[in-house]
Amino acid sequence: MSGLNILYVEDDPRAAQAVQDLMLADGDRMAWEQTGTAGLQRAGAEDFDVIILDRMLPDIDGLTIVSRLRAAGVGTPVLMLSALGRSENRIEGLEAGVDDYLSKPYEPQELVARLRALHRRAAGAVHGAVIIYGAFECHVKARTAFRSGKHIALSPKEFALFRYFMENAGETVTREMLLRDVWNMNFDPQTNVVDVNIGRMRRKLEDGFTTPALETIWGAGYRLTRGE
Amino acid sequence: MTPARGPASRLRVRSIFGQLTTASILIAVIAVAVLFAVTTITVQRQTRASLSATVATDLAGLIDIYATAGREELLRRVNDRQDVVSLEGRRSHYLVADGAGRVLAGDVTRWPQLNAARSEEGFVALADGTEVYAQGAKLAPDLQLLVGREYDRDRAALGVLSAAFLAVGAAIVLAVAFVAWITARHLARRMDAVNAALGAAADGRAASFPARQRGGDEIDEMAGHGARLLARQAQLLKAYKQVSEHVAHEVRTPLMHLDNRLGTAMQARPEAEGGPIGQSREDIRAILSMLDSLLDIASAESRRGDLAGLAEIDMTALVESLADLYEDSAEDAGLTLETSITQGVTMLGERMQITRLLSNLLDNAIKYVPEGGHVRLILRPGPHVVVEDNGPGIPHDQRDRVFERFSRATVPGDKPGHGLGLALSRAIAERHGLILRLGDAPRGAQFILEPAP
Repeated sequence: MSGLNILYVEDDPRAAQAVQDLMLADGDRMAWEQTGTAGLQRAGAEDFDVIILDRMLPDIDGLTIVSRLRAAGVGTPVLMLSALGRSENRIEGLEAGVDDYLSKPYEPQELVARLRALHRRAAGAVHGAVIIYGAFECHVKARTAFRSGKHIALSPKEFALFRYFMENAGETVTREMLLRDVWNMNFDPQTNVVDVNIGRMRRKLEDGFTTPALETIWGAGYRLTRGE
Repeated sequence: MTPARGPASRLRVRSIFGQLTTASILIAVIAVAVLFAVTTITVQRQTRASLSATVATDLAGLIDIYATAGREELLRRVNDRQDVVSLEGRRSHYLVADGAGRVLAGDVTRWPQLNAARSEEGFVALADGTEVYAQGAKLAPDLQLLVGREYDRDRAALGVLSAAFLAVGAAIVLAVAFVAWITARHLARRMDAVNAALGAAADGRAASFPARQRGGDEIDEMAGHGARLLARQAQLLKAYKQVSEHVAHEVRTPLMHLDNRLGTAMQARPEAEGGPIGQSREDIRAILSMLDSLLDIASAESRRGDLAGLAEIDMTALVESLADLYEDSAEDAGLTLETSITQGVTMLGERMQITRLLSNLLDNAIKYVPEGGHVRLILRPGPHVVVEDNGPGIPHDQRDRVFERFSRATVPGDKPGHGLGLALSRAIAERHGLILRLGDAPRGAQFILEPAP
């Protein structure tokens, strides 16, 4: 999925430039506003696929902006990109109505992955009983996985992970997304617990095959390959 | 949890106002009783003195008659007097008897328990049961005289006085009780309002102190101090939050630019991922993580026991989810993760923070327990959570400072870290009204999370 129409409200030109370069390179369009007031007006006046919002703006606090947007009925998904990255800052952001929270410094790939995931979630992608991506098949009701027609025996947890990768096939899946959507945890334990779980599933998906099932995106997460 | 407070108007048994009311009633009852006793005793003494004087005067008159006019005149006068009722309403009784006690004159038929030779006097009952105050006198070896007065009217007067006293006393006690109760209830209401405001503030809820009464008194003064204290605390918290946010922002922003540049450099040379550039980026993240942890500890400590922002969380689901997440890490480290989780355990808390606390404990266990060991995760209602293992445990000399900032256990297999994890875990526990402590397991480390006593 590409070609997102993004609004970025950020007072730091260098930070804005970095994101703009990143998004343009990925084929997206980005409008930049330097103040909260201008950002609020633009978010209400135009249709964007997703809004990136800094938190500490010179005129209006990012939390206030999102609250006002939600109160005005603007439901555009908002990712708060903030230098305040502590868990209580994240809780405040999520309670104010942001859909995702990423702290600075961030990995560019993680930002892209999260924006795409936000947009997908907002678009409400509906998956059928069988999801097929490349050589992989996920039979949701039967809770079975296949690669090139070969049944892969997965534990319930591994199946939940596999299904999540299939539902986000071709996109980068971050550790935080997995923690939130598979384990229902809204925090980053800063250890390799997620990677260990992925590693086990990955070994099963790759057992007997010569091509990798997942590729690691440095500092961001993982992406399911087509497995062919 | 803080117990629910009763209605403000209710006088509680242990309330100082309730005690004051009880004390006021008790003092009023005692005062009335003492006054009653003193009055009764005084009246009884006066009555006895009056009876004694009356009887003695009468007796002296008759002795005088005997001395001047002789025995026959005495007998005649006694017979004349016995039907006379005195002005005070006291009926008279006489007896003139010989040495053996035989009646010579008078209406008393038997000599009472009074010694005539010693001129004894006192309250006696006559043969027909009439109660009198009497005095005897020996006039000659074969002649003795007894004079008595009935005192039933004095007794009736004392009864009326007692009844009046009791009625007035009861009215005084009731009036004191009523006034004390009204006053105590009014004061208790005002104190309850101040207490409720302080309790709400202590629990982190919105606090509103009662309005100042006309004139103002000690309770108003206390409420005023409380309100000022809260305002000051709120101001300090706000200042602390602003400073910490600005520090975080000002430190993170240049580091972010540095990280971006390093990221761009790394993109140009992907082979440098594990080299100095990659390590520099890891270092940047480590510095930020340490900064965040320190701010998190400070924030949790500043909100110790503050219930604001807490919601009911399903501890059973949370602990099961954590066990599920850490199971593979334990297996990879060659450990067994055993769980014993009670169903339906909930608590008031911040889900993200409690998850963080428990994951710190599990991370530590997996980090320090050697291959082949086991880690046990137990959840019981309370909540009571135990994370224990059979690893090397905490060295005895380090047990006291294991929860301090930058304190790291020096045990074999130690891996780099900032030594902030347990300090943060304890701060999170205390912010939730819980304590995190080391247990006394004979082997390995045992961390216990439970409600603070």
